[in-house]
Amino acid sequence: MSESLPQGAKPFDFTGNAKEWFGIWIVNLLLSIVTIGIYSAWAKVRAKKYFYNHTYVEGRNFDYHATGKQILIGRLIVIAAVIVFQVVASVLPILGLLLLIGLLFVFPWLIVRSMIFNARMSSFSNVRFGFVGSVGQAFLTFIIYPILTALTLYTTFPILDRAMKRFSINNHKLGQAQFKMEVGLGPFYKAFLVAIVWIVVVGLLGAVLSGFSFTEFAMAMDNPNAPPSEVMKVVGLFYLLFFVAFLPAAFIYQALTRNAVYNNTTLEGGHQFASNVTAGRLLWLAVSNMVVVICTLFLMLPWAQVRMARYLAAHTGFIPGGSMDDFVTQQQEAGGALGDAYTDLEGIDVGLPI
Amino acid sequence: MSDAPQLRGLRGHAYAARSSYRQPARLLTREGGEDLWVDIQNDERAVLGSAYLSELQIDPPLGTAPRKVTFPDGAVFETSDHDAIEALTGKTRGSMLHHYEGFNARLIGVVAICLAAAWVLWRYGLDIMASVAIAFTPPAVIEQIDVGSMQTIDFTMAEPSKLSDEQKADVEKIYHRLVQSLPQDVQERHSFDLLFRDVPGMGPNAFALPGGTMVMTDAFVNEFPEPDVMAGVLGHEIGHVVEEHGLRRLYRSLSTYILIAFLAGDVGPILEDVVLEGNVLLSLSFSRRQETSADEFGLTLSDEAGFDPAGLKVFFEKLSEKYADQEPAQWTSTHPSSQERVKAIDAFIDGL
Repeated sequence: MSESLPQGAKPFDFTGNAKEWFGIWIVNLLLSIVTIGIYSAWAKVRAKKYFYNHTYVEGRNFDYHATGKQILIGRLIVIAAVIVFQVVASVLPILGLLLLIGLLFVFPWLIVRSMIFNARMSSFSNVRFGFVGSVGQAFLTFIIYPILTALTLYTTFPILDRAMKRFSINNHKLGQAQFKMEVGLGPFYKAFLVAIVWIVVVGLLGAVLSGFSFTEFAMAMDNPNAPPSEVMKVVGLFYLLFFVAFLPAAFIYQALTRNAVYNNTTLEGGHQFASNVTAGRLLWLAVSNMVVVICTLFLMLPWAQVRMARYLAAHTGFIPGGSMDDFVTQQQEAGGALGDAYTDLEGIDVGLPI
Repeated sequence: MSDAPQLRGLRGHAYAARSSYRQPARLLTREGGEDLWVDIQNDERAVLGSAYLSELQIDPPLGTAPRKVTFPDGAVFETSDHDAIEALTGKTRGSMLHHYEGFNARLIGVVAICLAAAWVLWRYGLDIMASVAIAFTPPAVIEQIDVGSMQTIDFTMAEPSKLSDEQKADVEKIYHRLVQSLPQDVQERHSFDLLFRDVPGMGPNAFALPGGTMVMTDAFVNEFPEPDVMAGVLGHEIGHVVEEHGLRRLYRSLSTYILIAFLAGDVGPILEDVVLEGNVLLSLSFSRRQETSADEFGLTLSDEAGFDPAGLKVFFEKLSEKYADQEPAQWTSTHPSSQERVKAIDAFIDGL
């Protein structure tokens, strides 16, 4: 499974270390608590900046330029909106339902605004990123496609997943250079099938080994007077199934698609990317991180984060196709109607898996 | 500036404005009247940027990450010579923060304070946040929550009550006696409406909504017509209303969610789910505390109103007889087990 990065690929380098990050993280935490959460906006900037600053490609690093104030205002707007929504929904459930439908249309706009904000606030080698996706595209990708996928009972999930990644990557720019992901459906469906095969094989193997019978199981589920020990056994089995079948399957899918995406993504100017993460390593990192973090009452969380960042960086490569000196930040178009008045709103961070 | 071969000044790299063009360079300073004049010079001694020190934007220190100096025209100078930059800027607020973030023995104190603060936050902070939120919720909103919830309940699961008027009157008499025993100001704060509904899936049950609306199922009136039992259960539900348990729970879970999202930050895959599920288990224990508290409130109230507080016990005893095998383990449940509650009730009655 562990193939090396292709010839000519320079691995990303994460130079942060757990000790240093721990100091920053714990002070962030303390100040956030002392200021009843207000400082957390600045803490977020510091955290993001730390990880960006310590990620290098070809001796050049990333940077994050948002200010705590921008993030704070974005968060206050979100909190206000949630409160208004909660009150409306509990006072007038019907109107709440209408608002929910309205949100369906606001959501794509929010996604685009937040991606624009995050892109513009990030830079590599002194050149800012940009995002050019449209709200219409976002509506299609994040509202229509998921509905269609659900209608096909998730057999088309790889199509949806590829659409989301394509929306995110193909609309990003570094300065004026466009990112482009060109990957067929094959790798996505292959990853999907491998994950499903894993679930089926492990499930069957487990059933054979434990002498588990479906009739017994159905009986236990149907009979409300089943002894509690039986019920506990079923619950335990579900957790076991989750940890040995579903969780690894999710990581298999994630690892295979990540590699496919990076290996088929280019940056204008002849630059290419590469990735060779493996499901086994990712799973091991995630599970061992979880155990360590919980056992240390979260105090080892910075260590876990650094460990993950280091692994991902080391298994992500950049294949330069020319000089790294030729990127130029896109001239910002003059603030239109939706320009400056809404810039603060852009601090809203819609968490997206990229 | 005559000693040409000597490379003095602060070594680093320079970027042209808005460009990734990167070249080795150094930062030179000289007196410029009131302020210090700063130049970026490349190895060929060409000046790439210059400005007064006060015009420069110098990013605050962050661990061992390189320091960045941005000139007014957008040219950037980057260096890992942390001491030299600090000498240039002098002590700033950013450098204070940086100092306290350093990994040394002092951090043990910070860790201790954080752990203590996290515990206090969980133990008291959530309650305070919930109390503040409750205080800021206008009564009209709470009443409307009841109206809205009843609409939903009537629409999805409840049917009109099939009880006779005498049956209803009997229950209402008991209910009024209980409400009359509450202090005057508490009586005025909530509506205390009693509604009867036939809810087929719910069995013998009674529940209270945050604004004070009380709902009793037909099955309950049919199976437990004894006034003492009725008083015990109604007293328990009145306890939920007076102590504002419903709202408190709503606000507590909201507060927990906000705290985790804002303080712990990104916890990574798997762990995220574990944190949220752990949170559910903790809130279950909170809900059990509420039940116990409402039990005690109900016992005191029915005692004051002249009922036999043992009535509530009868209810739980019957319940545990009927559903002996089905009770889930305590830690997975929102209510304490019936046996447990009977024991607690006995102990409380002894103390009355």
